[in-house]
Amino acid sequence: MSGRPALRDALIALAALVVILAIPFFHRSPAFEDFVIRVSAMALFATSLNLLVGTTGMVSFGHGMFYGFGAYAFGLLMQMTDLSLPVAAVLAVAMTTIAALIVGAICVRLGSDYFAFVTLAFQMLFYSIIISWQSLTGGDQGLRGGIPRREIFGFELASQLHLYQFCAVVAVLGLLALRHVTESRFGRTLRMIRDNEHRAAFLGVVLWRARLGAFTLAGGFAGLGGVLAALFVSGAYPELADWPNSGQAIFAVMLGGIGSFLGPTLGAMILLALNDAVTRVTEYHGLVLGLVILISALGLRRGVLDYLRLIRSRRAPSGESR
Amino acid sequence: MDFEALAACLTTAACVVTQTTSGLIVGMLLFLVAAGVTLIFGVLKVVNFAHGTFYMLGGYVAYSTLNVTGSYTVAVLAGALAMAAFGVVFERALISRVYGSNVLMQLLICYAVVLIFDDLVKIVWGPEFHAMGMPPAFQVPPLFIAGGVVPPFYAVLIAIAALIAIVLGLGLSRTRLGKTVRAAAINPQMVSALGVNTTLLFAIVFAIGGGLAGLAGALAAPVRSLSPGMGFSILIESFIVTVIGGMGSIAGALVSALLIGMVRGFGTIGFPKFTDGLIYIVMIAILLTRPQGLFGRRQ
Amino acid sequence: MRLEIRRLTKAFGGVHAIEDVSLDFASGSLSAVIGPNGAGKTTFFNLISGAFPADSGQVLLDGEDVTSLGKIARLRRGIGRAFQVASCFPTMTVEENLVAAVTAHVGQWGNPGRRLPPAGVRERAHEVMELAGLTKVAGVEAAILSHGDQKLLDIALALALEPRVLLLDEPTAGMGPDERWRMIERVRGLWERQKLTLVFIEHDMDIVFQVASSIRVLCYGRVLAEGTPDEIRSNQAVIDAYLGTEGHDTPAEGAPSEATP
Repeated sequence: MSGRPALRDALIALAALVVILAIPFFHRSPAFEDFVIRVSAMALFATSLNLLVGTTGMVSFGHGMFYGFGAYAFGLLMQMTDLSLPVAAVLAVAMTTIAALIVGAICVRLGSDYFAFVTLAFQMLFYSIIISWQSLTGGDQGLRGGIPRREIFGFELASQLHLYQFCAVVAVLGLLALRHVTESRFGRTLRMIRDNEHRAAFLGVVLWRARLGAFTLAGGFAGLGGVLAALFVSGAYPELADWPNSGQAIFAVMLGGIGSFLGPTLGAMILLALNDAVTRVTEYHGLVLGLVILISALGLRRGVLDYLRLIRSRRAPSGESR
Repeated sequence: MDFEALAACLTTAACVVTQTTSGLIVGMLLFLVAAGVTLIFGVLKVVNFAHGTFYMLGGYVAYSTLNVTGSYTVAVLAGALAMAAFGVVFERALISRVYGSNVLMQLLICYAVVLIFDDLVKIVWGPEFHAMGMPPAFQVPPLFIAGGVVPPFYAVLIAIAALIAIVLGLGLSRTRLGKTVRAAAINPQMVSALGVNTTLLFAIVFAIGGGLAGLAGALAAPVRSLSPGMGFSILIESFIVTVIGGMGSIAGALVSALLIGMVRGFGTIGFPKFTDGLIYIVMIAILLTRPQGLFGRRQ
Repeated sequence: MRLEIRRLTKAFGGVHAIEDVSLDFASGSLSAVIGPNGAGKTTFFNLISGAFPADSGQVLLDGEDVTSLGKIARLRRGIGRAFQVASCFPTMTVEENLVAAVTAHVGQWGNPGRRLPPAGVRERAHEVMELAGLTKVAGVEAAILSHGDQKLLDIALALALEPRVLLLDEPTAGMGPDERWRMIERVRGLWERQKLTLVFIEHDMDIVFQVASSIRVLCYGRVLAEGTPDEIRSNQAVIDAYLGTEGHDTPAEGAPSEATP
């Protein structure tokens, strides 16, 4: 165990970033670069959801709202203003965070089953607004006309390589920040709530305040994922805020493992890779995906990374498994 | 938003009758599906995300049965019975393995089933829309009530669904099985302590829930077209109904299903593009004032 | 710290769980609350600690009226409690449990940039662990602790908040006879060292009569009797209603059990 866990995490992130950024200098593969771009958006989305599900024990079915919100806010800011890309991105994330604060303020006091469904209702409400507010959002056609690829710091995001580099940097920094939140004093409070909210309350934890904090932060990071998604599709589509998208994030979290910080990222990779592979082979990719989910859920009974950790801790039962 | 149109409709008897009828149809079908969801949640504490699939399959089974036998009655019964059986298999083979585990694990299993059966339906019946067609006995001129158009089939549909609601209500309050089910919904430990075979009870509850959803799908088939993925929107709506009514409450499901039906019926006049949004607003508003739902017990 | 209860009343759906209870716990006293199942003992603790509000009556700490305060404000004023069913954080180790509790007490938000617990927190956690005799299991996950250690951890979590009034709901629940005595000796030791005002609910009459310096008997939500062990032992009403002829051990089950919120 290192005495400086924050430093250790930063070094791991740096190493990962160096590797990702180095790959195109050895081998250019548009398919791979696309994949990394999509994973970066999805990983932020899924990991932010896991801040709720895995760390705090709050099951939200409506997390896709903030992913979609980030994408639309960013797309609209880029189309309607002359703001530079980083400013628009930061503003979009800030707006998403405020939206999450408002929705969270309404939802976090509800019981867990109702919380799940009310968050879903908010997402579907947001989706309905996107569909019906055609003049602003383009309705079911989505936000078209592309996102102006203004140059930033000599980066030209119209180039796939630069988009790849941008997404990789943002995703790694975003994940590092989320890791920090999870391991901070605040993260510890969230885990107390997950383990035993009753006891936490009798130790002076103000449950709703901590939950609202988690919900707001998670919404903000999902919004950041949405910004990357908007860059990738060069626009924003209602599907980004639709129910199945939340389902995908939940699936990524469960597939990778709710008990491991990198579980959702791994889940996002597996899910996207699986989608790509299956779509190439058969048009019935729901059938294959469904069978894979069934086998993994009933077979492992937990996410892949959680499963691996369980195996490891069984092999080394001395206790020091973290 | 067109408040003028809404006001105009509300002041015209004909329009009120027509929209009420369509609201009742939506509401009653929704009730049949949501009754199963709320029953299953009440007794098993499982949120059945695959319930829309029962509804869809019920419709398709009825469609094929009609093509073979030519009888609507047989088709509807086949849809309902097939889904009752399917419900038992689903519960035994899959859901029973994840009792008591994370809600998300249950969600995942159901999500997988939804994906698999949407594709299986595509393989068996094709990806295109199917129309089942109105039974010949009802291919007659519509009834006019206070100037409003009411197709006779609609009236029969509403009557059948209402009848089932009554039978279900009486069954739950008068029969031994119904009393056990209600007791289990209130206190599962107590029921198993009383020596009730919970394995059997759970299977029966899934059979009833599946049968009702299949029945709804079969009944709806002549008025709505069949397509893979059709289970999804009804699933979301039946969740809304369940949550608004109070999870586990049959009476709550009936009231909120009719409420949603009416919001749909009249919403299409006043807010044609925002009917869905309206329903979510209703749901959010109700849950904020009564977090346990209309008929739910406060915990 | 002196704990005074004045005319406290709480009803659930028309049934009085606590009715017109007035009791005074002197600063630094060690008192037992006894009574048959369903007597309202746990509800009484819930009302003192602020788990839910009383219908009427007052709770006073050193003369200060805290009746209108919520549970967190009461915690801050020094009321700590442990639960009938040991309540801790199962996925964390004993040390993590206590660090979390101490951190929660010091402030949950603090500096978001800091990963490690604030200065002094770990020391304080170890101090509490030592006090409760949990040092040897510091690295063990709470979920796999023995039942007795879980109960101790629950008490330690309460101690982490530096309470001056400590409410223990059946600290020896579910233990064998030997273990009970070990537990209660530890509790007694804590009381002596920490100069606590300690109130505990207990069913084992041997323990009650030997350990408590004063005893309060609740029955159907009312105070049936209060006094020293000798006074209680010879109180006819208590013998009739509760102790019975044998005057030992837990009374028969069957009365409605008390709900913890």
